[in-house]
Amino acid sequence: MMEKTVLINCSPKQKLSVSGFLMKCAGVLIRGKKEYFHLRTPADYPAILQALKGAGKVVFVTPLYVDSIPSHMLPFMQEMEELCRGNGLRLKVYVIANNGFIEGKQNEPLMQVMENFCARSGLTWCGGIGIGGGVMLNVERIMITVMFGLMLLNVLLSAVQGGDVLDAVLSFGKSLLGLVILACGIIAFGIRLAVHINRGTDAGKKYTRIMLPSFVFIAFADIFFIIVSVLQGGIFRGWLSRFQPDAGCSIITENGK
Amino acid sequence: MKTVIHDLGKEQNEKILASTDRVVCADGRYAPCQGCFKCWTKHPASCAMKDVLHQACRVLGTSDDLTIITENRYGSYSQAVKNILDRSIATSTPFSTYRKGQMHHTLRYGKRNRLHLIVYGSLTDAEKNTWQLMAERNAINMGFREYSITFCADAEEAGRTA
Repeated sequence: MMEKTVLINCSPKQKLSVSGFLMKCAGVLIRGKKEYFHLRTPADYPAILQALKGAGKVVFVTPLYVDSIPSHMLPFMQEMEELCRGNGLRLKVYVIANNGFIEGKQNEPLMQVMENFCARSGLTWCGGIGIGGGVMLNVERIMITVMFGLMLLNVLLSAVQGGDVLDAVLSFGKSLLGLVILACGIIAFGIRLAVHINRGTDAGKKYTRIMLPSFVFIAFADIFFIIVSVLQGGIFRGWLSRFQPDAGCSIITENGK
Repeated sequence: MKTVIHDLGKEQNEKILASTDRVVCADGRYAPCQGCFKCWTKHPASCAMKDVLHQACRVLGTSDDLTIITENRYGSYSQAVKNILDRSIATSTPFSTYRKGQMHHTLRYGKRNRLHLIVYGSLTDAEKNTWQLMAERNAINMGFREYSITFCADAEEAGRTA
């Protein structure tokens, strides 16, 4: 009988997180019983810790925040350490990390932190993948959904007007292929990781990225932030200004005050 | 401007102030980052959450010399300190560039002088290695020209080192 796998989305975002998407994708490839969780607040701890008691494997899917794990994960990890040490749990731990920069290798400090956590908790570190440019996966899934809708519309119109239905399908197929090529490294390493998770073996640490030259990715990222900043108004509110802390900034204790 | 961020407790503020311009006590009485990026796109250099970390990025960004005193947590910062760092990403701008051959965000406050980490508590050799990498990566990410790291046995020694 296969051991249960617990998958934890560690993004603090409520919706549309890349980590949540990656967790669902990984879940499709992992066999056996699975449980999915979203770790955001201490209220989420009891259910996750309870699920871990009956599991053999756990997959943390997390964004990179300032070269490490997001801060809200730390108190959970401390509670998990206590639980595992107290109950002699020997879970196998896998990590899928993603970051907004193009280089997957920038996830290395986060991977080491998770490995150190395993050593402290008596867990088996089994590695994982670090993904660069993970935010593009969000763009891709939105594009695929829109393109699929357009294809259905084209097929319908072609059928009504007596046109070539196949043209619309082929056009969608070509666009889809382009998006798959951009994500081919992530798909390949994702499948490889899933094979290791299913076998319960050490996957090692592997780093991959969206298959775009970095200068093209940077151009896309800059355009994305310009558009969002125009829509949200930040561009008109001192977008790049060197703001000073207000006089009453309560977090500072200064000399002479 | 010299700034010290520490998680040693407010009672250490006065002592630490003897050797720095300003002190930020990481007491953990604030929420973690929600990943909304509005400190870049909606109200630059201000966090969407209006607690004491609302302008934390401005404090860090205007610190030429930044010392961070933190308890070790698996080769990373304590939660109280990491909250402050996570909610200070607007020390940079949303635009991207290359530093040390890798993609990073451009710096809102320009290059700064020195990042010094003082890490205390139980530390394994593997965690010390992670800290060396963390210090190097943080210095590049935050735009510090130099960085250094000191390991201390406990909070008391860390307080004296500051």
